[in-house]
Amino acid sequence: MAPGGFFGQALLVDVAGRDASGAPIALDEPVLRSYLGGVGLGTWLLHRLAPPGVDPLAPEAPLAFVFSSLVGTPLTTSAKFAVVAKSPLTGLLTDALASSRFAIAGKLTGHDAIVIRGRADELSVLLIDGGDVRLEPAPELAGLTAAQAETAARERFGRNWRSAAIGPAGERQVRYATISHDGRHAGRGGLGAVMGAKNIKAVLVRAAAKVSVADPAGVLAAARDLRERSFGPATAKYRELGTLANLLAFNAVSTLPTRNFTAATFEGAPRLAAEELHELRGVARNSCASCSIGCEHIYSRKGGGQQRMEYENVFALGPLCGVSDPDEVFAASARCDELGIDTISAGGTIAWAMECVERGLLDEPWLRFGDGSALIRALDAIGERSPGLGELLAQGSRRAAAVVGGSSIDFAPQVKGLELPGYEPRSLQAMALGLAVNARGADHNRSGAYEADLSGELDRLSGGAAHVAAAVGTEDRAAVMDSMILCKFLRGVFDDPFTEWAGLLALVTGWPVDAAELRETARRIVRAKRAFNQREGATAADDTLPARMLETPLELGSGRRAALDEGRLRSMVAGYYAARGLDAEGRVAPADLAELLLDG
Amino acid sequence: MGRPKAWLEWHGSTLLYRAAAVVGRAVDGPVVVVAAPGQELPPLPSGVTVVEDPVEGLGPMQGLAVGLAAVADRAEVAFVCSTDLPFLHPAFVRRVLRAMDGGADVALPVARGFRQPLAAGYRTALAGLVTELLAAGDLRPGMLFKHCEAVQLNDGELLADSGLARHDPELESVVNVNSPEDYAAARERPPAEVTVECFGALARNGSHRPRTVPAATLGAAAAAAGLTLDRHVVAALNGDQVTRDGALPLVAGDTVSFLSADAGG
Repeated sequence: MAPGGFFGQALLVDVAGRDASGAPIALDEPVLRSYLGGVGLGTWLLHRLAPPGVDPLAPEAPLAFVFSSLVGTPLTTSAKFAVVAKSPLTGLLTDALASSRFAIAGKLTGHDAIVIRGRADELSVLLIDGGDVRLEPAPELAGLTAAQAETAARERFGRNWRSAAIGPAGERQVRYATISHDGRHAGRGGLGAVMGAKNIKAVLVRAAAKVSVADPAGVLAAARDLRERSFGPATAKYRELGTLANLLAFNAVSTLPTRNFTAATFEGAPRLAAEELHELRGVARNSCASCSIGCEHIYSRKGGGQQRMEYENVFALGPLCGVSDPDEVFAASARCDELGIDTISAGGTIAWAMECVERGLLDEPWLRFGDGSALIRALDAIGERSPGLGELLAQGSRRAAAVVGGSSIDFAPQVKGLELPGYEPRSLQAMALGLAVNARGADHNRSGAYEADLSGELDRLSGGAAHVAAAVGTEDRAAVMDSMILCKFLRGVFDDPFTEWAGLLALVTGWPVDAAELRETARRIVRAKRAFNQREGATAADDTLPARMLETPLELGSGRRAALDEGRLRSMVAGYYAARGLDAEGRVAPADLAELLLDG
Repeated sequence: MGRPKAWLEWHGSTLLYRAAAVVGRAVDGPVVVVAAPGQELPPLPSGVTVVEDPVEGLGPMQGLAVGLAAVADRAEVAFVCSTDLPFLHPAFVRRVLRAMDGGADVALPVARGFRQPLAAGYRTALAGLVTELLAAGDLRPGMLFKHCEAVQLNDGELLADSGLARHDPELESVVNVNSPEDYAAARERPPAEVTVECFGALARNGSHRPRTVPAATLGAAAAAAGLTLDRHVVAALNGDQVTRDGALPLVAGDTVSFLSADAGG
């Protein structure tokens, strides 16, 4: 019998030709307890099911939708799932989280994960109704946005299905295409391209099973308590202004990446600030399914329409590209949603191209920093993979730099091929380490080390041992939250996170889990990700930052310089390896692989 | 004075705390406080270390030798000051140290009509020379300047620094406190005018827009903004240090940005 909250099985779906078949994979209790669900279990599944060295866009590459024991419980923010695959952008493990009713319906098909392999003959919709799996050709969905495709699919198949879909960029296998559902996105690493390569426009799931938890009354009481706490000051920022509140604050502390990381403050920041837009344009606030925080802030667009705005899309399509007109940033963000592409990678790649134009490395004189129309034109070219610039930029900045040559790789804003989020590494040096060593590449969700930089408890300009400890600590917390799965916006409400999380897991699963076990679980998940990347060819040389970050100091408004050289970064990376029990090259020792249960 | 200068109250902390924190704000390297043998010191800012002077009664030259030696392995030059400078401004410290870029051994301000050896810059390699002079019975800083290259900075040269001219035009950085009356007069002066701005969930009714308040410390600036520096609130000083230290001294020209402590994703 499966532990509470779990079904004890995954569904392996093969799509081939015009058919689909499903087969269960047993998920034994030791595996579930070792990897929890979400990103952790997804990592384990990738180890098992992805052939070593597989092309991420090949039919045999697996695409995993992974749930967790908490999904479907009344615990706030738990309606989440992870999408895990080998990234076409990085060639390494990628995992993206998203929240929606897809998570609940997907789990209640009776599976803790759904893994898709193969390639349909033509653009199709995959329907999973309990253990029943079928493939339906859907050529009429070609070219539709994900939202349009979701609507059309539910009209065709019935409104009691929940769906995850790709936009036109996913169909065309843009390497940073997203998977979308209910207006939310599994955004990073190109998961939409993986789904597009399988010729699957949408996955539809329908609940067909029930799952029980170990202590229903206890879960209900914990849910009430957590919900109450979620209304407190620790989540006020998300509730009142959303993540866009970061923009003006980051500008004030010289950590707002601007014009492809050539500056850390942006003169146009006040125009894009949540504090201003909220007064002038704020129209609504929404929540994900089963969430009591409500971080989504919706703004009106000039000329009609509304747009959900977050810090990362505004940073990437605003300051990073030198664009300060909110309507142009809103429009660019909306275009990314329509095309189904990751705003961070899109903005980062275009900002890089703009700098290439400035330096005479690209002959596209219209593509200039600060030009919102050029930004939209570039996004369209990417979505279409139009010959020339569109095809080039659809590959992401690292591959594009390899084509353009010159010194362009030095200022390509990426780590392991994934474009940098809106955190300036030179003025946030714990975060610099987190960005450098993370398995997914430059990422702010799997390493929240910026918390330490902005805590006032260490000097954010002088990376050292304290920064290593902070990066390890935040990565551990992320590994558990991403696997349980709970939204990280809830993190501030926990006074003793590992103990409290262990308590929640015990109520749901019945496991006598404690904080020490969860800490070990976090370490296992992080090491398992590295082991996967190691298998796929990643080395210590990948745990670095773009040359620009290591060679060009930033001048801060205070007069101080923010400098991060190769020696300091390598020293921190070495400290990270030691803390993680890795060898000097950042590898998991062969003798340690057995304890990761990767063989079954 | 009634009590040691280091312990004199200054807007909720002490004169020593202020001096150490202001120097810390101005330099990238270590900050050390030289204590007399057995001297009890008040609390100090985070990161400031104490070295004990093994010999008592030899005056400031002995403290200079001990202090320079304590940081010689981590810094080539040091700003050296006494405890009793209640209006010391970081721009003054930076201006003095910048005068040593050309290789001088000492940058000696001659401000407000007096030489200021206890608000001056020294090359840390001078520690040995100072010790030798002490051993020879030369206890006055003036003797040191005869044995090395000392650059003097008069009022005009100091105020050529635009930041210093703007924020400390009377060079009050070198005003010291030598009597109860000096202390009382200094204590009665209004705090510096600083700019505060609040961001994110802390910004209400347009408070993200900069406004000016009188505040001698970060805690006072927070109070003026209607905030408490608890686990949910941090402050960035001039876009640089992020801190929750309510005793952190503020000076004219400072901008304090209050952020939600959960800034980020």
